[in-house]
Amino acid sequence: MTVKELRETVKSLLTEGKVDLVIGWGKGTMPGTSTPVFIDTAEKADSLIFDSTCRNNLSVYFTKDRRALAKDDKKIGVLVKGCDSRSLVLNITEKQIDREKVTIIGVPCNGVVDMKKVVGKVDGKEILEFTDDSKKVTVKGREFELTFPLDEVISDSCLTCVRRDAVEYDLFIGEAREPGSDENAYAEVEEFEKLDSEERWERMKQEYSACIRCYACRNVCPSCYCNVCFVDQNDPQWIGKSPEITDTMIFHIIRNLHVAGRCVECGACERACPMDIKLLLLNRKVAKEVRDRFGSITGTGLENKPAMADFKEDENQDFIMG
Amino acid sequence: MIRIEKERIDEFIRALMETWSVYAPARDGKNTLFAPVEDPAGIDHGIFNTDKSPKEIFFPHSEVLFEFEGGEIKKVERDARPIAVWGLRGCDARSLRLLDKVFGSAWQKPDNDMFEDPYWKEKYDDSIIFGTACNEPRSTCFCNWFGAGPHDGAGMDVKVVDTGEAFILDPVSEKGKKYIGSLKGWAEATKKDVTKMKAAAKEADKAMGEVFGMDGIQEKMADLFLKPVWNDIGAKCVNCGACAFICSTCHCFDVQDEGKKGKKGKRIRIWDTCMFPIFTMEASGHNPRDMSKDRLRQRFMHKFSYFINNYDEHLCTGCGRCVIVCPVNLDIREVVREVMACEA
Repeated sequence: MTVKELRETVKSLLTEGKVDLVIGWGKGTMPGTSTPVFIDTAEKADSLIFDSTCRNNLSVYFTKDRRALAKDDKKIGVLVKGCDSRSLVLNITEKQIDREKVTIIGVPCNGVVDMKKVVGKVDGKEILEFTDDSKKVTVKGREFELTFPLDEVISDSCLTCVRRDAVEYDLFIGEAREPGSDENAYAEVEEFEKLDSEERWERMKQEYSACIRCYACRNVCPSCYCNVCFVDQNDPQWIGKSPEITDTMIFHIIRNLHVAGRCVECGACERACPMDIKLLLLNRKVAKEVRDRFGSITGTGLENKPAMADFKEDENQDFIMG
Repeated sequence: MIRIEKERIDEFIRALMETWSVYAPARDGKNTLFAPVEDPAGIDHGIFNTDKSPKEIFFPHSEVLFEFEGGEIKKVERDARPIAVWGLRGCDARSLRLLDKVFGSAWQKPDNDMFEDPYWKEKYDDSIIFGTACNEPRSTCFCNWFGAGPHDGAGMDVKVVDTGEAFILDPVSEKGKKYIGSLKGWAEATKKDVTKMKAAAKEADKAMGEVFGMDGIQEKMADLFLKPVWNDIGAKCVNCGACAFICSTCHCFDVQDEGKKGKKGKRIRIWDTCMFPIFTMEASGHNPRDMSKDRLRQRFMHKFSYFINNYDEHLCTGCGRCVIVCPVNLDIREVVREVMACEA
């Protein structure tokens, strides 16, 4: 896929009237960043890009107070990586998005860059230039230039991803690859499981104590779309609002359980966190449970209901019946 | 002006700690913030703008205002020593001064009757600010948009300049002059030091990006209030509070009681932000800022319109923290540019 192909495809969709708006990524204001763009004219399509900096899961723009986007008469196109497409599938199966009204455009993903890892590579020095191809990344700053393999700096969620390309799409720019095997996808979760409960609790406490309760994790998440989130319930109030560890843990654990069988492990929460909290570990632990107990992998097909919304006669009930 | 050789800086801080409760840049896990100093050796003098802003020293994320038991109200005792902050950048020093206009005495005028917040005042009024001049501003820095610069001393009591081998302490305020004047055992800054300071300031100025003119932005913002430009600017905002909570000047808060009603508990003040839907939710269930773009607009209106009307200054000092943390790269500088370019 070239950027030119991407732009031309979007342009023709718009000029042929197949869509009224395309949500995609444009160049960001800092090296190594991109920003969501809303393309409603062919001219604007020239601002589209797709590379390893396109880390936002754009499916979020169909949820919360924007869900009208996919319900009014507008025909919307959206660019998706593998994980983003799974979020769309989840929202479609949960009847939040009308499949007919969305034009899903797949783009080939090689993983998105975690800038915190890049900054770590250059000892925290400021990066003034960032370039990448599908295999390596080059960064420049005052008095340094460094090139390293893309795989060394992609997000943790991308390291274990076996569905890099869209699982559901109307058109794909380039060639979509078949999914890989999930077999070894949860190595770090298995490591975590080996710790005893006290150690696991300590580890979680250590991570979550940095939380500033900004809810960036929740707000970038396409699976988090309650009309009123439980943390915003104040009549009566459900949980304390201070960044005190008990309340903070309650927020994260409840959110985690609320997206059980609904989280597509895209890692948008983790990348959005201003405090660099490793949020995904707990999500992936739950995703692994859901896979092992119910044989369900979220958002992989329109015919599959989310695990918690489905019941199969022969499903594993050990945990109920003993 | 006095000079402190770098190898003696711990000695200086230790002396400061005898009378003051000292806060300085430190690393806490993966993030940097201003933390109470227990051992001067733990201060990281190399930290650029801390990830978390220093407003929390004087205006904590969650602050107990008082405790209650039955009908009785108990004041919460805090460290009685005055606060000294070491290593505060110019943008942050000016941020504290802006917050002092809201909470403290900086905007007291004979013709107004502004409320003074005792919880802010008991900390800020007696504090001393040692600010660090920025020798290497970053590409996200835009303090020069607000008439300041990387070596500006506004809001500081003492400006500290790193010349490579020494820290030069240049008193700015009366309080700073008094403190530096009271010190013994430190050499005066040399002519060579002064030359170096000037050169560093010049270099730093050169490293700053171009100034963007914001004349008339408060009227412009007000004129554009109902215009579709906010739909465009607000389209990508996901309405989290990362920008506001990381911001050195955002200061909205909520007050809550924790504990048992009428029995035992505490009243706390917690950071809140206009980005959250519940911020303006009315008892009837109506929300005047129902849509995400309404809330985003409020944040920028406050910074670049209302605050100027009320306090004669922008509620932004160009620290660049929000530029870095925004999960959708909604860059405050771009918002200002878009607004200024828009025809009312």
